[in-house]
Amino acid sequence: MTWRLLPIAAVLAAAIVASVSLGDVSVPPLEVLRSLFFGGTDYDVVVRELRLPRTILAAVAGAAFGLGGALIQAVTRNPLASPDVIGVTQGAGLAATIALTTGAFAVAPAALAGGLLAAAVVFGFGSRAGFTARRFVLAGVAVAFALRAGIEVVLTSAEVIDAQRAQIWLIGSLNGRGLEEATAIGIVLLAAAVPLAWAAWALRISSLDDDVARGLGVRPVARRYGLAALGALLAASATAQVGAVDFVALVAPQVAQRIAKTERPPLVMSALLGATLVVLADLAGRRLLAPTQLPAGVLTAAIGAPYLIYLLLRRRRA
Amino acid sequence: MKLDVTELVAGYDGRKVLNGLSVAIPPGKLTVIIGPNASGKSTLLRTMARLLKPRGGAVLLDGQPLHELPPRLVAQRLGVLPQAPLVPEGISVLDLVSRGRQPYQRWWRQWSADDETVVRQALSDADVADLADRPIEELSGGQRQRVWIAMALAQQTETLLLDEPTTFLDLAHQVDVLALMRRLQRGGRTIVAVLHDLNQAARFADHIIAMRDGEVVATGAPSNVVTADLVRQVFGLECVVVPCPVSGAPLVVPTGKE
Repeated sequence: MTWRLLPIAAVLAAAIVASVSLGDVSVPPLEVLRSLFFGGTDYDVVVRELRLPRTILAAVAGAAFGLGGALIQAVTRNPLASPDVIGVTQGAGLAATIALTTGAFAVAPAALAGGLLAAAVVFGFGSRAGFTARRFVLAGVAVAFALRAGIEVVLTSAEVIDAQRAQIWLIGSLNGRGLEEATAIGIVLLAAAVPLAWAAWALRISSLDDDVARGLGVRPVARRYGLAALGALLAASATAQVGAVDFVALVAPQVAQRIAKTERPPLVMSALLGATLVVLADLAGRRLLAPTQLPAGVLTAAIGAPYLIYLLLRRRRA
Repeated sequence: MKLDVTELVAGYDGRKVLNGLSVAIPPGKLTVIIGPNASGKSTLLRTMARLLKPRGGAVLLDGQPLHELPPRLVAQRLGVLPQAPLVPEGISVLDLVSRGRQPYQRWWRQWSADDETVVRQALSDADVADLADRPIEELSGGQRQRVWIAMALAQQTETLLLDEPTTFLDLAHQVDVLALMRRLQRGGRTIVAVLHDLNQAARFADHIIAMRDGEVVATGAPSNVVTADLVRQVFGLECVVVPCPVSGAPLVVPTGKE
């Protein structure tokens, strides 16, 4: 398991170097490394102040999306039960849209609260029959649709300029963001380190039948709540800072599970793949139609979906 | 270790299946619960295994109410094999059996040399040591059932409860599982199982609990309990009971419905 992480960590490192190196002014990769580790090069401003903060933000946001998705998917044993499908992202989106169009609240805290509130509602519906996967996913999809309708209502009744800003937020963009946002996510990730270490262990039993888990002295339903709440917190914190970057929380854990060949999405690898995906999506968004910037959220699906489909096809053939 | 059921009320969603049932499980014996469908035998076993909460009365483990004890500590004393558990995909036999050590582990202290020894022993006791590296979904029904039993053995409990462990198995594998239960009892454990086959119950049990409509109709040694009268009373079936040519245990031969 651990050795499988190395190539992915290497890909992430390469993606980070590429993201810092490519731009209107291209910096040779070796100069990037020199500037990062030693400083004092001609490129210090471009590397350290312009591109690195945004790249770090992409990496930590992606890691938080990957972890959040892995936790919720593992708990519900359902790849569709990902925060961007079951309403967490849409809850954050509705709160952010209201904040952006009315100016009544600060966007990030409102989005975080909206995401957590949506998660609480979905958990409430899903728990009626002991938090079974099907109920949970159905409740989540219903809540997500309702919230999306709410977003449309707010957008159509808002001023055009406000609505446009909200649209960009809803797609998810790292443009003009950096260390401040990265720190906010980093604090949540750091605070979640111990709960995550517990989660990695607790998930072993969550993949078993509830009766078997009870026989082993575990309270399966209470444990599912804890794990899913942790996942929702991570996904909502990342969404609050970078907007509704779609598909990362869904695809990163699925790809990780297929690479690691495990029974459930592995946490560390999901985090690394989530980080890699957002860094690459942001890089592609900056460069593909340069000087026009595409939001990262447009490209996460464009990069992630074909790779997941490739893995699905390869598995069927094997 | 003693397991006693007193005045137990239990059921599902407003439907009471057991209404004030009392029964004692003899320690160190192989006890089999028999009875027709919907007689409450699985409900009784599931409540004893604390898979189901009692609505009234109690299951007592050495005199203490089972449902008030910390689940982790109960899991160190009482193991359970539920009926037809869902098989997790993509994990090996060794990995699954290792999870039987869960009640002894903490997230900050996960695996010890002791765990390793116990898991190896459980694999060999359940006769699945040679399957250790195989993925579970590749195994036959009989092998899977022995793997689940191995997982319960890794829990190192004095008592093991099994809910219909032979259902869905062919005859040879049924006998395998029954013989394994017998070996475990000889090794000093208390075994309780729900079985459908009367003749297998009579042949392998030390002690029989016969149930009908949520009540205990008779308890005792197979030779005392398994009689033509009892089979008529419990199953509504006319039969002749003869001594088994191999073991001498009672053998039920149905003659027809009354």
